[in-house]
Parts: sequence; structure tokens; C-alpha cells
Amino acid sequence: MIYHVRHRTILHYAAPVRLARFNLRLKPAPWAGQWCADYRLSVDPAPSVIQSRPGGWPVDVARLVIESPIDTLSIETSFRAGVQGGGITPQPDDPTIGTVAKAALIDRDMGPSAPAHYLYASSRAPLLPAIGAWAGDLLGPDRPVIVAALDLARRIHSMFSYQPGVTDAGTPVAEAFAARHGVCQDFAHVMVVALRLVGLPAAYVSGYLRTDPPPGMARLIGADAMHAWVMLWCGPTRGWIGFDPTNGCITGDGHLFVAMGRDYADVAPMDGLFVGGAGQSVQVMVDVAPEQETALS
Amino acid sequence: MATDALASPVAGKGWADAYLAAASRGDLFADATPAMATHWHMMLERLSTQVQGDPAVLADHVARQATALGMAFRLTGDEQERAWPLGPVPLLIGAEEWTHIERGLTQRAELLDRVVADIYSTQSLVREGKLPASIVTGSPHYWRVMTGTAPPHGHYLHFYAADICRGPNGEWRVLADRVRTPVGVGYALENRLALSRATGDLLGAMNTRRLAPFFTDLRGGLAADCVRSEPRIGLLTPGRFNQSYAEQAHLARYLGLLLVEGDDLIVSDGRLFVRTIQGLKRVDGLWRWMDTRFMDPLAFDGGSRIGVPDLYDACARGGLMIGNWPGAGVIESRALAAFLPKLARAMLGADLILPNIATWWCGQPRERAYVRDRIDQLVIGSAFGQSAAGLAGGHGVPGATLDATSRATLMEAMTRRPMDYVGQEMVRLSTTPAVIDGRLAPLPFSLRVFVARDAQGQWRVMPGAFARLAGHDDIRAALMGEGDMSADMCVVDARPVPPDSLLGGAPAIRRVGGMLPAKAADNLFWLGRYIERTEMVLRMIRTIVGGSIEADLGPSLASPAMARLVNELALWHAVPGSGGAVGSLCAQALGDARQPGSVRALMGVVANIGEGLRDRLASDFWRLVRLPLPRFDEAATETLLDASSRMIERISALSGLAAENMGRTEGWRFHDMGRRMERAINGCRLVSLFGGDDASADDLTVLLDLTDSQISYRTRYLTGPALAPVRDLVALEPQNPRAIVWQAQRLADHIASLPTLRNDGMPEEPRRLADALAARLSPLTGDTLTMADIADAEHRLTALSDAIGQRYFLQVRKTQSTDLLA
Repeated sequence: MIYHVRHRTILHYAAPVRLARFNLRLKPAPWAGQWCADYRLSVDPAPSVIQSRPGGWPVDVARLVIESPIDTLSIETSFRAGVQGGGITPQPDDPTIGTVAKAALIDRDMGPSAPAHYLYASSRAPLLPAIGAWAGDLLGPDRPVIVAALDLARRIHSMFSYQPGVTDAGTPVAEAFAARHGVCQDFAHVMVVALRLVGLPAAYVSGYLRTDPPPGMARLIGADAMHAWVMLWCGPTRGWIGFDPTNGCITGDGHLFVAMGRDYADVAPMDGLFVGGAGQSVQVMVDVAPEQETALS
Repeated sequence: MATDALASPVAGKGWADAYLAAASRGDLFADATPAMATHWHMMLERLSTQVQGDPAVLADHVARQATALGMAFRLTGDEQERAWPLGPVPLLIGAEEWTHIERGLTQRAELLDRVVADIYSTQSLVREGKLPASIVTGSPHYWRVMTGTAPPHGHYLHFYAADICRGPNGEWRVLADRVRTPVGVGYALENRLALSRATGDLLGAMNTRRLAPFFTDLRGGLAADCVRSEPRIGLLTPGRFNQSYAEQAHLARYLGLLLVEGDDLIVSDGRLFVRTIQGLKRVDGLWRWMDTRFMDPLAFDGGSRIGVPDLYDACARGGLMIGNWPGAGVIESRALAAFLPKLARAMLGADLILPNIATWWCGQPRERAYVRDRIDQLVIGSAFGQSAAGLAGGHGVPGATLDATSRATLMEAMTRRPMDYVGQEMVRLSTTPAVIDGRLAPLPFSLRVFVARDAQGQWRVMPGAFARLAGHDDIRAALMGEGDMSADMCVVDARPVPPDSLLGGAPAIRRVGGMLPAKAADNLFWLGRYIERTEMVLRMIRTIVGGSIEADLGPSLASPAMARLVNELALWHAVPGSGGAVGSLCAQALGDARQPGSVRALMGVVANIGEGLRDRLASDFWRLVRLPLPRFDEAATETLLDASSRMIERISALSGLAAENMGRTEGWRFHDMGRRMERAINGCRLVSLFGGDDASADDLTVLLDLTDSQISYRTRYLTGPALAPVRDLVALEPQNPRAIVWQAQRLADHIASLPTLRNDGMPEEPRRLADALAARLSPLTGDTLTMADIADAEHRLTALSDAIGQRYFLQVRKTQSTDLLA
């Protein structure tokens, strides 16, 4: 499936900010089964510096420096991307959770997507025993890993209430878990924590969902802005597989990968520092359209 | 044997004999070789002689020296600093035993440096299966983004500290490796200083090796890796709320490094600079006392408020020395310690001279089974120092102490996430003499020892240590725990230690004090303002309670002048409102910490700002600022009078210290500018309150009192206070150091002497404003002065204060992350 993506963010600051340095993590990082072309970033007012930086993980970081005072900032990206695949389903010969956990401990890879990086607690994904107790029955060591993870995604989907606005980017996972509510970011963190608690390498992914569903299908939750889901390393043979706890499914060709890290902090679409500014409001517009559709209209 | 009764050798012998009778096998003194035993006996005899045989007196002597040095510390959660618990009996280690330890530490430093280098460059250890990837990534101090960056000369480590212990058979082993910060090295130095001050020539008589050369080597090693030959090196501190801040400030001063916080630094074009009042100045290297996590909010932890944006870029670009290199902390984990014996053989081709305590990482099936089977003989610890299920706060637990339930919980947790756990052998610590309840008794000890690269890149070991005498079992928790004591450790030679030669190594003479960071300038300025503000509140209190030399102006609020004065105290937030009895109002203005303008609160601010200037202020300053307020009783006005007078004397002593002891550096100028600025603004305020066109004789008396100008007035005029002469004296007389014009003139002088950033010869804004103010005031006289002139001067002073802030001080940076997710 080939998509045309447009993503526009407009920030209004209550008081002008100056000497701003932002990290943008909006460009899809290279990922197996996916390609990206014609990527364009436009920023208004124009920054004095736009620089690509290493992120450490499968994430593309662009640095913006805007020295002069601004009260409005508009960031727009557009690109074409192709997503292969979809249709991943549990197989009879899938490894068990115990087998995958053992394999992760002895894997010798140190690259950005090496399973070893995603085994441990991280700043936004502390290993909360409460989450372990809640998910433990699904994640016994002898269960096949993909079935078990899908069960977990579905349990989060059915037992958590999707409520935009009740949490924000800074909400600790413990809080969202206790209230059983939140948005994709909270659900992805809960799932990452549950998987790591049984020794599985689990990563946090940011990306896009197709805005309008194919004919006859329901629209996915989270398509109005950037989305977040989970990657689980399922052993050396099956590798990384995406699970979307917000929609209770394995990711398919409607999920467009942008960045992967240990938790939200590694892949936050935008963060940074500036002087001044008392408060801000954000407007986000995202459009992810299949290319044929664009051609037709 | 001495015959002098006071030199009581019997008492000394008594100490040693009584101690040896109580000490068990494995004691440092009891096990000493005959040659070392002679040293111990000699030391104890001399110590005993010094205090006529009473160990409590000795402990007291040493404690007093520690306090006099300003030594103090905080435990996590402490609001106030605690007195430093320094034991009076040093540990003695002979040259031969020490050589073994030195060789072991040097070998470990070299090995650890190579392991860090491998992890952040080729990662061959992991690729070849010598080190599991999951041991590297499990460390919270591993930063993948550092991969591929390289420090100058490939030196990932500049310093290394280890906690070592001595077992019952005299064997030394390593409890923990430390490369993030060498916490304790400054305390070791201060312990030595306190001990040598308290014991006269004892240390010299024992041929104790000196510590100073180690610090010269350490500094030389940091400098050698800087690009420029006369490098500017900063000690990067997390700030005054850090537990070891006092130690960091002391070391910065001792080594002549610039004590800098993140705010002081800025990265521009990939180069690091310090913000000074002379603009940005290049920084060549940092001795880092801040965890990597906090160093750069744009590259590491975005939540850090104490870092330097883009410091990562300066590392990645090259040409910046940072000791130790960011990410080095990865080798501190207990899990990694389990692999060091193997890594030593693989990388150095040798066994460790100084091995770790035996450690098994449960991330491997065989080791896991071993730990499970022998849990009763082992301590179960957190593999990476973090909280783990069954190990609250990451603290280790001896398996034998677990009840059935907690054992089952821990076993289950270890099955789910085995990589979070290690098993370690139980450690039995050797003992050393300490003074407990006034007598010598054996206490278990561990040593923190320090290693650093010298200017040739070679490892040097400090011939001494920070000795920790255990108040409880968990010896590895922190530098000092509840109930612990510290002690000095002396490496003693058979022959006298030659004194350091001062020839050859002496630096070239220089007369400038180094440049002033903008934040230090800021702090010094505000320190001056707050001290001056405190003095004025005290004078107001004293005037209210009747400190006036005018006999008929008693402690009553009957006169309008008094009512206005109390009202002014309320406006300054020294009292909650202007109602109430004189005594209780003044007691509040003096001692009520809830009133932000009270003397107590203001002195708190002074201490707080002073804390941030710890490397620049003399210890006498601290003694004065920390003295508790004198006692007073609101019912007895004479006690209020006395307390405020004594506090004014203290402020005068602070002024005296600044006037007589501070070098006439730019730092002194900012401090003095703060005093002048506050005094001038207060002067304007007081003239407009008590020197207006309809001022009464009472008003003018109060005005002369508050400006400390009574005596000056009397020497000039035989009559009582009259408006124009009073105004001239307190506002305009250029010879009166309390007059507004005097402050304005000094401010203009100071600013004229400060460096300018312009190269076109044009005046900067503060210079322009200060000169204009002085020019406005100087032609005026008491009979031509109007209240509009005073209002104008006050307005100009405020503008000048803002301009000083804009030009010389820091502009604060804020962090914000933006939420774009649905």
C-alpha cells in the first residue's frame, strides 16, 4: 500500500519564545518492509538551522534552531511511503515466551534495533508490579509469543477506555494504568511494561494510521494525529512484530512506522528548549491517504 | 620512655593493650606485621599522650577541627547539613601492602578504561561473545548515542574510585567500581587536613605519604588532554542541592578549576563556552560530577533542568576533554563485575591482582542455578543498581534472612527477569580501632580509594583513602550512611617522606584572579543586596524599639514617624501588618521565618545564595552567616534592642570581611555593587518617607538614625535636625558613605572598571545609566533638592539594576516538550 502523508502542526505561544532549539522526530526512519520518498519539511518562520542528528535508536531526528522571538510556529511535513505486509498471524510453530526471553538475553546484536536495548525498564516505562499482576495470566513462559501478545493487546483494547484529554505526554504510566484510561501513548506504555516484565524485548513505536478506512472497514482509533503502538521481538526467526493495543490488533499495512525507541521519550515527535513562553496551544492536522485515492479525486 | 607524668606512656600503652585484648582476628592493628605494629603503638601512645589518656577528648579535638574546616554533609532527605563524623584514629597501612593495592587498582583502571572504550567503539567484546549485550544495555548509565564518539587521546576514564575491603585473612577485594563521580575524594583530603591539624606533627613523625602530589597529577592529567596548552577547565556540578556540593566546591578551589553549573555553560557551533561578564569564554575541558543523564536535555534525558543544551555535540565534534567520558558509568554495574576476571584474562592476559567479591549474574542459566541452590550463603543484589522485584530500592538482601514468603516472591521474580539479579558472596569485613562511647573499640571498615591519570596518561593512586567505619551492614549503599563514621587512612613508609620540591614545578607568577562566570556575578550582586537589606531591616527594628540616641523617642508608636516606619516594615514583608504591640512587631520582623522580609528569612536567603558561591567565600563568612539569631523576648524590649544591635555588628563584620579580605576582583565589585545599589534604593525610599517637604523633627531624627548619620550630623551642626542640612547629608554629601550620591558614584566607578563587550569604544547601557545618575545627583545640594529628584533617582537606580542584570547575568532557559499525540 502506498500512502501520501501530510502532517501539519501549529503551535501558539501565549508569550513570545526565543532561542528555541527543537528536536523533530517526524520523518520515517528506515524500517524493513517500508519505504519513504519525497520527504519535505517546511517550518514557518524559517529556522536558522535545520540539522539531522543521531538518535541512537531507529529514529530520525532533525534539529531546528530559531533564535528570533516567535509566538506562532508552523511545522509541516509531507512524504510518500509504501508499506508492505500486513496479514501477520500467529503460526503453530511460533516460539514460546520463555524461548524468546532466553534468546534475547544471548543475542549479540548492539545495533539500534537490537533486542537487548528493549529488555529493561526505561524512564517512561518503569516495571510496575501491578501491571505484571494484571497481565501475568496471559504471559506464561510456555505460551506462544504472538498469540499471547495479541491477547494482551486485545485485553488493553477492551478494558481501557480511550479518552483523549484525560492524559497528556507527561502522564506516568502508573496513573493511566490505575485509571484504565488514556490514549494510544498510555496503552502502548502499559503493553511495553507488561511484556518487559516477563523478560521480552518490547519497544515503543510512533507512526501514522490510514485516515479513512478501506470500504466496509471501521475507521481505526487514533487516526487524527500521530499514533503509537508496540513492537515485540519474537525471536531471531520472526523478528519484530507490531501490536496495536489501542485497536487490539496486530499492525498491518494501515500502520505507517515513523520511529522506535524504549518509550515515548525516545521518539517524542517534538521536544526542545526555549526562553520565555507562558503557555501554548497546539493544532494538529494529519492526512494519510492511499495514493490511488489521491489520484482519483 | 618519657618521665614526664603528663606524657603518660602508660595511658598510651593502656589504649593499645586494652584494644588488642578486645580485637578479634582480622583486625588491621592486631594483624599488623611487627614493623607496622610499631607504628600503631607509637601512634596510639602519642595520641593518648596528647589528651592525657582520654579518647573522648581526642574525638572532640578532631571533630572541632572538622567543624572549623566547614565540613558537613547531607543524607538523602536531609534539609540541614549534618556535622561531619570524623573518627580520630587513622588506619595505618604499610608500604608493602599498599604497593599490592596500588598495582591492583592501576590494573583495574586500565581494564575498565579498555572495556568502556570497546563498548562505545567497536563493540568487539559483545560481538565475540565475551560480554553479553544485555549486560551493557541493562545499565541505566549506558547511552547508545555515545557510540562512535571518541575522547581526546582515547582516554575514556580520567579518574576511577573503588570501594575495597579487607577480609579476615588480610586479603583485599573490590566491593564496587565507581567512574561516574569520585565522591569522597574531597572528603578524604579534608579528613587528612582535620586530622593533621588536630594531631600536630604526628603524621610526619610516622612518615605518612602526602596526598597533595596526587591532586597535582590529577589536574595535570585533565589538562594534558585539553587542546590548548593553558586550558580552562571547569568542574561541572549538579548544583548546590547535590549531596557532595560542598566537596565539589572545595575541590574546585583546591585545584584551581572553575566551579560551573549547566547554566554557566553554552554550546555554540559545537564548541563549549562559559558565560562570563566578559562574554563567552572557551572551555577546554570538564571534570564531570554530573551523571550523563542530566548533561544535555536535547540528547540524553529531556527532563534535565541542570544540563547544557547540545553538550553532546561538543563531545561528538571532538576537541573537548570530559573526565570521565559520558556513558562511562556503564561499567559500574554488579553484573559487569562478574565478567571482569574473564575480561582481564582476555584483554590484559593476566588475572586480576585485586579481584572483586565473587559475583554471579543470573542472566546466565548456569549462574542462575548456582545462585538458586546456594541462596542461603549469598547476598542477592540488583544487577544494575535499580529497584527490582523483591529488592526494594535496589538494596541487596542476604538470602539467609528471607522468610518463606519473601524468598518465594524473590525466586519467582528471578525466574521472570533473571537478568535483574546477581548473587554475591557474603563479605566479612576486617576491623580497625575507633572511638566509641569514649573508648577504643574495633569497627568494621571499607576504604574508598582513588586513581587518576597524570599528565603522561599514567595511572596514579592516591596514597590514602576515605575510610568508612560501618554503623550498619549495607556498606555499599552510599558514601556515608546513618550512624557511619569516616576516618583517615595513612600509608606509612619505613623512611621519612621527602618534602615536595617547590623548585622547577612552580607556576609562572600571575596577578589576575581568573574570569568571573555570569552566574557567580549574579549571586555576588544579590548577596550584597540581601545583606544590605537585612541591615536596613535591623536598623528599622532598632529605631522602633528605641535605639535612637534621642532620649525622648521611646518605644511607642505614638508618633506618626514610628507608624510610618512600622508600615514600611509591613511593605517590606517583614511583619504581616502594621497592627500590634511594638514588642511583638519587632519580634516578628526579627525572627519570624514566615515573613519573607524578616531578618531570619533574609539571612536564610543570604546563606542560600552564599551556598552557590561556596568556592568563592571564606569560611569566616560561613561562620557568621550560620550563627543562630541572638535570643530575644518580645516582652522585654531591651532584648530586642540587644539582638538587633548584635545582628548589626555581625553585618558589619561581613562588611569588614569584604572590605579587608576580598581581593579587588570583579567578583568583589559585583558584591559591592549589590550593597551600593540596595543602599541607594533604600536611601531614596527613606528620604521620600522621612525627608519630605513637611518632615517633622521626629521624621528627620528617624532618617538620620536609619542612615547611621546622627554622629555626622552632630559634628557639622549644633542645632537639631533641619530639613535642608539633613537632606544634604543623607542624600548628597559626597563624603558620607551612607549618602545616596556616594552609592551612585561608587556604582559608576565599579561599572567603569568592568570589562566591556563593545570594541567601538561606545559605553554599554549600565555605564550610560550609572554615569547619568551620578551626573544628575552631584550638582544638587540640600536646598535645591526636590522630591521629584529623589523619585527620579530611585527610578534610575531600578533601571540601572535591570541593565546590570541584562548585561552581566544569565538569562534563564526553560524546557518544554510538546504533545502531538492523540
